[in-house]
Amino acid sequence: MAPTNQVLITESSNVRIIILNRPKQLNALSSEMVYRLLEVFHAYEEDPNVKLIIMKGEGRAFCAGGDVAGVVNDIKKGSWKVGADFFSKEFTLNYLLATYSKPQVSLLRGIVMGGGAGVSIHGRFRVATDNTVFAMPETALGLFPDVGASCYLSRLPGFFGEYVGLTGARLDGAEMLACGLASHFVPLEKLSLLEDALCEANTDDTNIINNIIDKFSNNNPKLKENSQYFRLKTIDRCFSRRTVEDIISALEKEADKNMDDWISWTIKSLKTASPTSLKISLRSIREGRLEGVGQCLIHEYRLVCTVMQGKYSRDFFEGCRALLIDKDKNPKWNPSKLEFVSKDMVDHYFEPLDDKDWQDLKLPARSKSNLPSYAISKL
Amino acid sequence: MDRINFRTQIISGHLQPPPTTTDILHVIPCLSYTPPELTEPESGFNTKSLRKLLDGQSTDIIDYIFNLMIQSPLFSPKNRGGKVFIAPDYNHSMEHQREMTMRRIGYLRDLGLFNGWFEKPGPDGDLWRFAMAETVSVFDHSLGIKLGVHFFLWGGALRFMGTKRHHDKWFNPTETFEVKGCFAMTELGHGSNVRGIETITRYDASTGEFIINTPYESAQKYWIGGAANHATHTIVFSQLEINGVNEGVHAFIAQIRDEKGNVCPNVRIADCGHKIGLNGVDNGRIWFDNLRIPRENLLNSVADVSPDGKYLSAIKDPDQRFAAFLAPLTSGRVTIAASSMNTTKVGLATAIRYALSRRAFSIKPNEPEVLLLDYPSHQRRLLPLLSKTYALSFASNYLKMIYVKRTPESNKTVHVVSSALKAVLTWHCMRTLQECREACGGQGIKTENHVGHLKSEYDVQLTFEGDNNVLMQQISKALLAEFLAAKKRNKPIKGLGLEHLNKPAPVIPTLLTSSALRTAQFQTDIFCLRERDLLQRFVTEVAQHQALGESKEHIFTVTYQIAEDLGRAFADRLVLQTYLDVEATVPEGSLKNVLGLMRSMYTTIVLEEDASFLRYGYLSTDNAAVVRKEVLKLCSELRPHALSLVGSFGIPDAFLGPIAFNWVDANKWSEV
Repeated sequence: MAPTNQVLITESSNVRIIILNRPKQLNALSSEMVYRLLEVFHAYEEDPNVKLIIMKGEGRAFCAGGDVAGVVNDIKKGSWKVGADFFSKEFTLNYLLATYSKPQVSLLRGIVMGGGAGVSIHGRFRVATDNTVFAMPETALGLFPDVGASCYLSRLPGFFGEYVGLTGARLDGAEMLACGLASHFVPLEKLSLLEDALCEANTDDTNIINNIIDKFSNNNPKLKENSQYFRLKTIDRCFSRRTVEDIISALEKEADKNMDDWISWTIKSLKTASPTSLKISLRSIREGRLEGVGQCLIHEYRLVCTVMQGKYSRDFFEGCRALLIDKDKNPKWNPSKLEFVSKDMVDHYFEPLDDKDWQDLKLPARSKSNLPSYAISKL
Repeated sequence: MDRINFRTQIISGHLQPPPTTTDILHVIPCLSYTPPELTEPESGFNTKSLRKLLDGQSTDIIDYIFNLMIQSPLFSPKNRGGKVFIAPDYNHSMEHQREMTMRRIGYLRDLGLFNGWFEKPGPDGDLWRFAMAETVSVFDHSLGIKLGVHFFLWGGALRFMGTKRHHDKWFNPTETFEVKGCFAMTELGHGSNVRGIETITRYDASTGEFIINTPYESAQKYWIGGAANHATHTIVFSQLEINGVNEGVHAFIAQIRDEKGNVCPNVRIADCGHKIGLNGVDNGRIWFDNLRIPRENLLNSVADVSPDGKYLSAIKDPDQRFAAFLAPLTSGRVTIAASSMNTTKVGLATAIRYALSRRAFSIKPNEPEVLLLDYPSHQRRLLPLLSKTYALSFASNYLKMIYVKRTPESNKTVHVVSSALKAVLTWHCMRTLQECREACGGQGIKTENHVGHLKSEYDVQLTFEGDNNVLMQQISKALLAEFLAAKKRNKPIKGLGLEHLNKPAPVIPTLLTSSALRTAQFQTDIFCLRERDLLQRFVTEVAQHQALGESKEHIFTVTYQIAEDLGRAFADRLVLQTYLDVEATVPEGSLKNVLGLMRSMYTTIVLEEDASFLRYGYLSTDNAAVVRKEVLKLCSELRPHALSLVGSFGIPDAFLGPIAFNWVDANKWSEV
């Protein structure tokens, strides 16, 4: 494939800085970018001259997600299998990053959403900053938190992962650090100094890298006064329930006792999201909690293909229409209510597709001997 | 790198002072952990489908409960080698463990997990209740038992032995734990022999009350789970004496503590003290000193006492009355059998995962050391137990299904099958844990790695809800009764899977081959042959004693050897049959193949290990040699599936110990 300018790379001795460079689209991942990243990461793993990878975004966003509008366009022109191909490459990339043998430092300036989280959160070092905005907003789009989110969301404290995944709640840098999505918080003005220091250190030793980032870090950035992270107890009480219906009714009970902006926003976001999306998302996170990252991506791939196949619901296309194309922000979900999404329907999403050309996601073979501990623990 | 050099570097690495975090400029070579996920061949079969055969429709609720436990700090999560593990703090005092058990139950209750406990109807309701008790036991046996005593024993007695008046009054407060129930059956002097208990209850018509008494020290209630600290109420099993006539054992509800937790007047309670395991359960002893309870507190499903003191029962025969009374409590054995399989899975998953990452000794100089599971002897230790665990798990599911679909007519079958499987499965559990403990070497001794510790946590299952040996004797008695009854009626024998007795005896080939050994036909034939021959021998032996005029009771005490062999034969044949039934539901393909392999392993290992095949000549010595060779072959064929087979158990990583994963990192200096 011809080199693309949507991914730029600068080299500094043994450090490679990967820049997501599609600023007008907030660096949303096109298939071109996914292919290029796969290629680059595969090559760097073999290349003894590469010790450390830094990833960042050009402009005001790190990466706003996968280019779903592009995917929907492709599907409309051809078959849903074009989309399947995109996601199989993207998820393969996610797996590669989660089990990468060399350290990756992601500098999370601005927006980190969906696919953007997928190319950063799996890595060893995730540096949040003052203007970071993280979200997995897929349920509002008729999709579900993918790119391995069923792995990293399910491992957040308590049931915060269910909350973030179902509501699409936005987290700032301090909240990301508090819940563990970010490994560090470095003030915005120090980010480029950090980058320089990392290039200068020119090492693959994670202890040294950790110490360097620590030096620039604010270890205890203040959570804003009304941070949702202070609501963890309520979140645990409600989002631990067995079904989406139970979660909503638990929230409504809380609201009866103590109504405030946060509760009403939470309930509203659940009520406006795609009912099908909510149900498959909840189950995906719950299953993901009991799986390794590879199994998570395999089950998510089944989900995403079933979503695109559109046999049980076409909410993904409707969501993209309402939010990305027509922008009327008024999707008509079908099934329209949670009660119409049966357990059988949800079960179908988790089964292999009934299509002779389709197969489960094939994960790339990983190095057997030099995986770092943090990668091993994700298997 | 040349091996000597390599070892020298490692040793000198160990001799150097440990690196500080600011000063690691070189990597010290050391034995590293290689995850079996990356080195083992792909399963070839769908592990989720196999899991579904084990957990069936309960998979969702099981996984949900796993989620609840993993995410709560109450379940003591610890990060070891980059992974989170949850396990009770066994190093804490008995009092602390008991307190934690209650807090964990409170957490699950507050999330509404027990809502509708008594309402959920039918087989689905039963399966849901079973899944609950079994799944919490994967975390901690104490938690499962504490819950089981409250809901299955106390709640089950209310439900099945009580009537509407008890249901209306007690179900709600039981579901919310406002009332904490226990179940006082066993006494210091009587356990398995329930009908011999000595607690005595009389009726006082003038006040309309029963008066419960502990007449002797041997009549003190003993091992009563929940009694020592938490229970507010208990079911009391007692002889009922009406107008000087002993009407046999009955069950009553008695309050033993007030809402503040103070022991009630006329009740004395003492602690059973520290135990070899299960210290999260507060077992206690209870004495009753003329404790008065209202007449309505008699659980009156089969017998009642009228206000003026008349004894009323529709079942005149006290034997039948007693059997009908206790029949529903079989649920305890069902959960014990199922829980023992979960524990076995934890042991095997840990030992096999460890054996797939731990190496010992090189076969040739300068070669890497050999993976434990690549030693045929290590395979022989673990893989037969793995196959047997699948076979016994399927049998446990069968037991569950006949329990939840029970009818008055099937009670006998449920009783016999639950007795057999409770005994066989729990014995298998203890044996497997011991083997796994040894297979993990020294690491098996560490409490955090579970396998060793689980032995003491689960040892009690061989005893409670019926001593295993006593249960096994009941099987032979029941088989004998069935056989004689059919003969008397002059009709073919039906039920308990004994229909094969009506056919001619199967013929075993004089010279067995490997392929013959693997056919379902041969396997069924030899298991049936053994069962029918042993039953015949048992019938003959009993008849010989009868001819000498000996009493039935005496005869059963002297014929125990053959009775034991017969009990085993019945259980083994039943397990094989349920296995074949499961296999038949699976479409042709890789999963069916691996199931077939495990079935052959199961039968072959029974043939090899149970002396009765040689003792009574079902196997010639030549054939026994063929069997022994086949075990080796089956081991090597199962070896590539080992990781997927333990993965299909569906026990989440967090419930296994650190040695099942990156045990090098879990033990590194920086984690100290």
